[in-house]
Amino acid sequence: MTLKEKLKIYYNLLLIRNVEEAIEDRYHPADKMRCPIHMCIGQELIPSVLNLFMKTKDSLWSHHRSHGYYMCKGGSVKEMISEFYGKKTGTNGGLAGSQELSYPKTNFYSGTILCGAFSMAVGDAFSKKYKNQKNVAIAIIGDGGMEEGIVFESLNIASMMKLPIIFICENNLYSVHTNLKERQNSKTIYQKIKSFGIKSSIYKGNDPDRLHDILKKITSDVRENNKPHFLEVSTYRFSGHVGPEGDDQYGYRPKKEIAYWKKRDPLKYYEKKLDKKIKNFHIINKKYKKKINKIINDAFNFAEKSQFPEKDYLKFNYQNTYSKIVKKFYSKNIQLNVSQKDHKPKPY
Amino acid sequence: MKKRELTFGEAINEAQIQAMSLDKSVFITGLQPEKTGNVFGTCKNILKKFGKKRIFPSPTSEQGVTALAAGAAINGLRPIIIHERVDFMAYTFDQLANWISLWSFKSAGKSKVPLVIRACIGKNWGQGPQHGKTLHSSFSYLPGIIIAMPSSPSEAKGLLLSSVMSNDPIIFLEYRALYNTKEHVDEKPYFIKLGEPRKRLSGKDITVVAAGASVLTALQGAEQLKEKKVSIDLFDLRTINQIKMDKIFNSIKKTKKVLVLEDGWSKGGYASEVITMITEKGIKLDRKPKRICWPDSHLPMSRPLEADFYFTAKDVYEACLNLLSKK
Repeated sequence: MTLKEKLKIYYNLLLIRNVEEAIEDRYHPADKMRCPIHMCIGQELIPSVLNLFMKTKDSLWSHHRSHGYYMCKGGSVKEMISEFYGKKTGTNGGLAGSQELSYPKTNFYSGTILCGAFSMAVGDAFSKKYKNQKNVAIAIIGDGGMEEGIVFESLNIASMMKLPIIFICENNLYSVHTNLKERQNSKTIYQKIKSFGIKSSIYKGNDPDRLHDILKKITSDVRENNKPHFLEVSTYRFSGHVGPEGDDQYGYRPKKEIAYWKKRDPLKYYEKKLDKKIKNFHIINKKYKKKINKIINDAFNFAEKSQFPEKDYLKFNYQNTYSKIVKKFYSKNIQLNVSQKDHKPKPY
Repeated sequence: MKKRELTFGEAINEAQIQAMSLDKSVFITGLQPEKTGNVFGTCKNILKKFGKKRIFPSPTSEQGVTALAAGAAINGLRPIIIHERVDFMAYTFDQLANWISLWSFKSAGKSKVPLVIRACIGKNWGQGPQHGKTLHSSFSYLPGIIIAMPSSPSEAKGLLLSSVMSNDPIIFLEYRALYNTKEHVDEKPYFIKLGEPRKRLSGKDITVVAAGASVLTALQGAEQLKEKKVSIDLFDLRTINQIKMDKIFNSIKKTKKVLVLEDGWSKGGYASEVITMITEKGIKLDRKPKRICWPDSHLPMSRPLEADFYFTAKDVYEACLNLLSKK
């Protein structure tokens, strides 16, 4: 692993953390971001490392806690914040909000309704194989999503069809406020997946360097062999289920458990590690923080200044267009060319 | 020279073959479309012509396969997925309501899902409560998906070709009652613009609106009405949730009488929608509007009860005469 790679991962961790905290800080009392927002503070590890192994033409399909993945797939922070503001310059033209961030430019998609995106990623992987594209699809899911039936249908399909897809399950122990113990009769998820004939593994730590090596192997394996891989990673959400407020006042997580995971904060861990290893890291760190701070301020200013979408949003429901092939075949209007008198339906 | 005739099933087969020849991004999957009955013959010879990359059986996973098609469509393919029974589509409602229907909208039109979901409605014989239902009204409620209901072989061919080449997601519903109907179908590929009703008959006394299999029932009813010297304007909606009403309004302004036929339950269906639009438009009718739909019940399998359940040409005939009788 090069120094450059290590610094890139650190930068990613820091970017996600600081952007998320800025959203929390600025949500109230301004109340200009009028959509539910799922924060990924504490869960920055996977997107930060995954960033190093994704090509633009690879696609990433995320669950609802998507901001980290969005940014690490090359998404613009300006357009993301604008989307939360419901502005026309947002990723989705201000029509969708945090829960459905999508960015076709970098092949990033997400959606909030449980695990549909996970399954659509399988179709995306299918199309890559069908078109002989040398790219992979990446599907991100949580431990809660792994309880839906469609997930098992999709794993079977991906295995049967030998699709180039990387499934990553972020096991943060909670589906909203309900612990895994109350939902599944097993402590880990990855073992179940093996029975589908899919290579499956788990990573339980918080060390970006270790995850780097794991993901490097998995991504090159999936690219070369056109076969799916499933990776479970243990993680923990520091923020509430849905932000900006925390929700620990409801007492659904033991205080000891929270303290245990906060000690394993991937950002703090890596900051210390790099500080020991890299000369003058504190200077680089300061530079990064300044740079990110500017990105955040620029993004909020951009969102503030942007216009709301026009009221003709109805038109977006339908494309109302056809493949170019239709025009090629019939330069005239698309019209029925069977005359009415030709119709002589016979009763069944 | 006698013009070539195709059955409804053969016309769909030809449309799929032509779509696949025109565009190599078109592929077909579903429960064994390439085997045994080839889904009422509609997928005959496709495996032979195009190979198993282009047509293949899916696992028994309707929801997963719908997601597969959606993901593939977003990355530029044009999938056709087939449900030999529309009932199986109930499994896929999450994909339709939470993903496919809002895909274009939520991306502000920047991303599209051009896929076709073909499904067969059991109206035929002996299908009973399991396979006799139709779900078209449940789908047509959603913005963002177009529901096509072809009424005859030549309509099916043009509508299916347009559906495959459309950049919107299409649910294409086929009544089994139509598979054996036969008529002239042009050999060349042709396209029918989605969303425009077609005037099937021109008359003077009553405006009749129908879609899918009920168009056939209406044509048969119109035949019987000739003996009473009654003629109807018959409109085939073709797509039931994107309806351009102008021509229908003009017809009703002339006849001042309207009958809507719907092979499906009446609640929230297109019949109630069409009548509402006419009422809202303020067109003066000289008789109360009339619709003929299915009874508010599941379909009984038992033959005499089944015969009683479906409306026939005779019901259309009588309803028309009632509309014409003195107040």
